[in-house]
Amino acid sequence: MESTERALFETGVRHATESGDGAALDAALDDLGWRDALEADRPTAVGVLFESQGKTTTTSAALDWLLASALGVEADGVAVVLPPLRQNGPPGRLDGDWCVVEGLGTAALDRCETALVATQTGDGTATFAVDLGLLTRRPVQGLDPALGLFEVMGEFETAWASSQPQPADWPATAALGQLALGHELVGAGRVMLELARTHALERLQFGRPIGTFQAVRHRLAESLVSLEAAAALLDAAWEDPSPVTAAMAKAFAGRSARSVSRNCQQVLAGIGFTTEHPLHRSVRRTIVLDQLLGAGTILTRTLGADILERAALPAAFAL
Amino acid sequence: MELRDFKAAVDDWLDAHESELACAYEGIGTLDEQMAQLRKVLRLTYDAGFMRMGWPERVGGLGGSNLLRAYLGEVLTAREFVEPGIYSMPEVLAPTMIDYAPEMLAAEMVPRLLRGEEIWCQGFSEPGTGSNLASLACRAIRDGDSWRINGQKVWTSLAQYASRCVLLTRTGTPESAHKGITALFIDMDSAGITVRPIETMHGAKEFCEVFFDDVLVPLDRVLGEVDHGWSIAMDLLPYERSTALWHRASYLQRRLEQLVAAAPAGSLDPVAVGEATELLWAFRARSRATQRRLAAGETLGAETSIDKVLVATAEQAVFDLVAQGLGAEVTLGDDPASQRWRAELLYSRAATIYGGSAEIQRNIIARRLLDLGADR
Repeated sequence: MESTERALFETGVRHATESGDGAALDAALDDLGWRDALEADRPTAVGVLFESQGKTTTTSAALDWLLASALGVEADGVAVVLPPLRQNGPPGRLDGDWCVVEGLGTAALDRCETALVATQTGDGTATFAVDLGLLTRRPVQGLDPALGLFEVMGEFETAWASSQPQPADWPATAALGQLALGHELVGAGRVMLELARTHALERLQFGRPIGTFQAVRHRLAESLVSLEAAAALLDAAWEDPSPVTAAMAKAFAGRSARSVSRNCQQVLAGIGFTTEHPLHRSVRRTIVLDQLLGAGTILTRTLGADILERAALPAAFAL
Repeated sequence: MELRDFKAAVDDWLDAHESELACAYEGIGTLDEQMAQLRKVLRLTYDAGFMRMGWPERVGGLGGSNLLRAYLGEVLTAREFVEPGIYSMPEVLAPTMIDYAPEMLAAEMVPRLLRGEEIWCQGFSEPGTGSNLASLACRAIRDGDSWRINGQKVWTSLAQYASRCVLLTRTGTPESAHKGITALFIDMDSAGITVRPIETMHGAKEFCEVFFDDVLVPLDRVLGEVDHGWSIAMDLLPYERSTALWHRASYLQRRLEQLVAAAPAGSLDPVAVGEATELLWAFRARSRATQRRLAAGETLGAETSIDKVLVATAEQAVFDLVAQGLGAEVTLGDDPASQRWRAELLYSRAATIYGGSAEIQRNIIARRLLDLGADR
């Protein structure tokens, strides 16, 4: 997108995420033409929306739209079953003529009729489109009830799928989802930093704003450094969103958001520990997002283990 | 020349001249050997035209974007023809001359720096002036048609090799702080200058004390305006945190690559390797965006402090791994390769100290980027 077009798009998306959540946000995104933007300029569409969702702690069907489109399905009302918590492989596996499903669904699952289940086959992945009625879903309260996750499980005879299984590149699909979650984590980090910054300017102790104390300033400065680094890594990863770079960017964004969460919680101290202050929403969101589509710690350990095994580093960004 | 064509031309030329450019010593070498190597590489790349790319024509350059300079330093470092710290000094000093020196002076002097004919140094810190740069005391007093300088500088890198120095002096009252500083371009062979190298923990005498005893400098050697040297220092620091850091990232990547190839199985924690790699990649992504902003004509400012914090953190993370993965080499080895790992491990400890400490960078970020106001 050109800069003026991008600015308009950003304003529209920001407004949408600030004024609606869930189904209302889906509708606002459709009005904005977000899915057209996704076709035209995926990095901008995903980066802008998911960072905004992270900042506003909102949810939409956009992750499902993104993953479905990567799996080659553009229809409405289609949810994509996510891998189980912390994992990153396809949520389905074949057992004879049956497909066994174990995974998660976003809040948009409730607004869909069909589920796409990426399934491990012999040497690749195939996608089944099945009626959601064939699967069991449990609405998750858990750590972050506002995220509205579902646990999805069940098994169906592959012949019941509404279409023939389509060959799919799950690693490439999951990589796009990881980048989206990375942006959402950065957004969550940015809002926590802004909350802590405002507090540091307003809260007086020893006769002066606590933001004049170096111990506080340095925590906030460290938070900004880590968020800007995560944002830069995500932007660079879009140039070649391979599973390796996407996993790095997602893991790094998660680590960054977790460290921002720790710093900002400390600066916000007592008030930030109450439900009267919004911080807790972002703290919860950060912990959960960090564990969707591959837990950050697992992705990082896998990266390190691969590097050591191959005795070589991943491809570097060229100037 | 476009970056893509430049890359191809540089790569071909480096392939063809590999043996001429190669280091004449094993391991880290002595500082004398490193300097001789640097001069050789600068001379060869200047004569081939590459070192002139990305610099304006009025100082002997051939024009083109800063990305060309960024790439040249990246490959010279990645191929281990130069040590990035000493190679990148023109990235800081030449822009200062281009922006602030009288035109004739810049045109005369900058080519000498770029082709390795001269080494320059930067006289900023003083014994009583570390993080609080605006408190500097090295005095310059007008005396007829000269400035008369008395005082002392410290941590002046490569002063013993330098022909010139960009020197910050106090020309206002002692209390004038950042309002009474003047930048001068001085000849290091002037009478009254004494240089005493300091041996550092990593075994090199890279930093020096420089004493000024009634040193006379012609009036026309002022950079910018009298009493406005602070703005020069402030404009120079973002340069120190841009292209030079891209070169350093290339070096860190090279060393990490060599580490994972050389470390015995089981000696490195996969999590630590993964974290250091992610951090280094994040830094490269950030630094590349900075190079591109510079190429697009943006003025760099306080946001480069983020780049500086990141490179220092990444460097220490990489060498913390070296201490684990090559523990035997670092602690017991006396061969050239081990000596180099050891020296670089020790040098990495200074990454959060030199060029504006990690604390000063965080102060800048807090005040200028987070707008937290003054800290008292």
